[in-house]
Amino acid sequence: MRAASFAALAAGLALAAVTGAAAPDAGPDKALVIRGGRVVTAAGPEIENGAVLVEGGKIKAVGGADAVAAPPGAEVVDASGRWVLPGLVECLASIGLGERYEAGEGEELSDPVAAGLRLLDALDPFDKRFGQAARAGITTLMVAPGRANVIGAQAVVVKPRGATAEEMALPGPAGVKLTLGEGPKSAFGAKGRLPGTRMGSAFVVRKALLEAAEYARKRRDHQAAVAAAKGKKGAEPPAAPPRRLDLEPLADLLDGRLTAFIECHRADDIQTALRLVDEFRFRAVLVGATEAYKSAGEIARRGIPVVVGVMGVGPKRVETKDVSLGNAAALVAAGVKTAIAAEDALGVGAQEELALSAALAVKGGLDRASALRAVTLTAAEVLGVASRVGSLEPGKDADIVVLDGDPFSYRTRVERVWIDGRPVRMIEPLK
Amino acid sequence: MSERTIVLAGAALALVLASAGASAPPGPGARAGTAAEAGVTAVVGARVLTGAGAEYGNGVVLIEGGRIKAVGPAASVPVPAGAEVFDASGRVVTPGLVDSHSHLGLGPSGGVTEDNEMSDPVTPELRIIDSIHPEGEGPDERQFRRALAEGVTAVAARPGSGNVVGGQSAVLKLRGGTVDDMVILFPADMKMALGRKGFYSSKGVMPTTKMGAAYLVRKALVEAAEYGEALERYERRKAGDPKASPPPRDLGKEAMLKVVRREIPVHIHVHSSDDIMTAVRLAEEFGFLRLSLGHAVEAYKVAGELARRGVAVVVGPQMIAYDDQGRLVNLAGYLADKGVRVDIMTDADVVQESFLRCQAAIAVKYGMDPRRALEAITLSPARTLGLEARIGSLEPGKDADLVVFDGDPFDVATRVLAVFIEGRRVYEYEAEAEGGGK
Repeated sequence: MRAASFAALAAGLALAAVTGAAAPDAGPDKALVIRGGRVVTAAGPEIENGAVLVEGGKIKAVGGADAVAAPPGAEVVDASGRWVLPGLVECLASIGLGERYEAGEGEELSDPVAAGLRLLDALDPFDKRFGQAARAGITTLMVAPGRANVIGAQAVVVKPRGATAEEMALPGPAGVKLTLGEGPKSAFGAKGRLPGTRMGSAFVVRKALLEAAEYARKRRDHQAAVAAAKGKKGAEPPAAPPRRLDLEPLADLLDGRLTAFIECHRADDIQTALRLVDEFRFRAVLVGATEAYKSAGEIARRGIPVVVGVMGVGPKRVETKDVSLGNAAALVAAGVKTAIAAEDALGVGAQEELALSAALAVKGGLDRASALRAVTLTAAEVLGVASRVGSLEPGKDADIVVLDGDPFSYRTRVERVWIDGRPVRMIEPLK
Repeated sequence: MSERTIVLAGAALALVLASAGASAPPGPGARAGTAAEAGVTAVVGARVLTGAGAEYGNGVVLIEGGRIKAVGPAASVPVPAGAEVFDASGRVVTPGLVDSHSHLGLGPSGGVTEDNEMSDPVTPELRIIDSIHPEGEGPDERQFRRALAEGVTAVAARPGSGNVVGGQSAVLKLRGGTVDDMVILFPADMKMALGRKGFYSSKGVMPTTKMGAAYLVRKALVEAAEYGEALERYERRKAGDPKASPPPRDLGKEAMLKVVRREIPVHIHVHSSDDIMTAVRLAEEFGFLRLSLGHAVEAYKVAGELARRGVAVVVGPQMIAYDDQGRLVNLAGYLADKGVRVDIMTDADVVQESFLRCQAAIAVKYGMDPRRALEAITLSPARTLGLEARIGSLEPGKDADLVVFDGDPFDVATRVLAVFIEGRRVYEYEAEAEGGGK
């Protein structure tokens, strides 16, 4: 008995070692009830003294502490005096793509257009920062390419758990990352290559999308021809157009199957992004969007969501000088669906301080509920994964965070985290 | 209610200033004699955190001639008749915040900056004041004002870490005017940087290794010492030998000689624990006046060595790290617990200068004692810069640099209502609509 449990423990430890800190503890998915505490569902009113029932890795019920019954054998976690939130969603992470100060794997510098590449093929599930993110309460992240490529590799939405990229990734491609402004200029223009200017970047996008539109048309024609040939006897099915891996994701973008996440900071770059959207009619999300508050009406009118990088810290200061804590508030007031990202910078911009980014937006005038949603449900909606994550609602993944206080207080720390109903192994800080 | 009183008091002061002929801040000459300096100003009613460990629930700060005349509980510090009263009831007053590692006014992080002269890895002759734009190097031309609006009153502006010996740092007060108006200490220290230097490595120029960097520091110090001996030899001979001539002037050696002669301290950019101990080795070998380390992310691995030697660590912009076992390390809090003197920095504008108190709040979040965290952005950096007799705490005789907050200084929701530098109100929230939101 003792030997057996030791073996199980050893196996558990070995698994933890193999899969890194990111791995939730292995174990049977028995029912779990988190009871007591203030339950912030992000989808409705907050529940004082609430409870969350988890079964099979999914949320089964959410309600008042007395209204949710614990099934026999369920693990019951006492969260009295605590805050219970959905796992946080980070919309713009760059982790898992190499060490912080090393040349990253997220940017293919041979060509400003890298749409054919998939970040999934660069993702390192053993990057310790996934486990660090999980222990900080971040249970879903979009890992996106950096700012060098005008059209970057295909981004991927992951949960910080699992030993393979496939295990980590939520199904379906997240979208294509575009960057306007200084990023491509310094990566390519500085070497005398296109784009060396902002209009150069716009041209690169326009040219690629025109090619993609042509490709999409051929694809559709072929499908139509196949359909037409189907009923006819002896008819040879028409030959498919040669596949273009570099154009497929852009054709999917134009056909409405993918989203473009466009990083742009200055108001003129935001305007360029809007111009491209108007011209090519694709689904877009503005990312970074430092000066979005200057164009809030224009953005709202088009129904384009924004991921605000509140801080303006890190290596983007050359174009984020007009950063305002009031950015998210102005966007929400204008009716823009607004998420907030921490972007894994340093200090106040570290991924562990995502809640601080939201708190700063509150200081800038955003209401608390919107700020909370900006790092949970709205963020999940923007990433297209809200059917699974982002709120505490029956049927959704049991990604849950227990905090020791108000998420917007600087003193508040994460106590416990579950991903898909499995506890994330917490590690005591160094004393 | 009290907020309105402050506004009215501010308006009154502005009138007094205007009638005294003082130009509007932050123009040149703005710090010339003002009415406020002539009389006594009493800041009353606030919770006063002195930055030197004391805290008064209902405190009084008396200001005269730009300096703090008295500070203490209302019961024991009477407000003299005729004093101008600044009602800060319900507010929190702290010393002006000090950042001992900043690159304010030197250009945007990630853009073209004015703090790294990358033509030579050893440039002790460079003076950072010759690069600083006094309002903020483009594109952020309101950088200084934004920092002030969040309570930062003094910064050490430093050469960058691209070079092994970067040059001479300066301490500025953010009171506006020209750089020369703002400088309160120059040269403040010699800025160096150990560890691998990627830029020179890529060109095949020394240093391509860590030991190469250490060698360049050692060589520069040895040459400066010899230069000093030649100067002394000349001083001894010149009276008796009309043909004696001084060594030709060498601006770099002159600057390094200040380090050798223990006239200025040394601040070294480091990250890994081996480079930290190399910095310590150099400091002991050459008898540095004082050694402070910037960033020093792995200082927690050698905390005992640093505490024992009194080496200060300026933590930031990265505030937390993880050790080999995945344990979170609260860099500032851990070092403070182990007896290391700790400052907290922004490294502006890697993190914007205005977030200095947020940087400290992160240390508090992970367990640092709030008083020590406040000290890490006030008195401790003043000590690092050798200015503890003048700034960093609310104590009699010190410059009247203070910040009035409407709540807990570490809470992001808290606003800075007013900032005083040398007794003059240089920032007021109500007067600058966007000040608090930026």
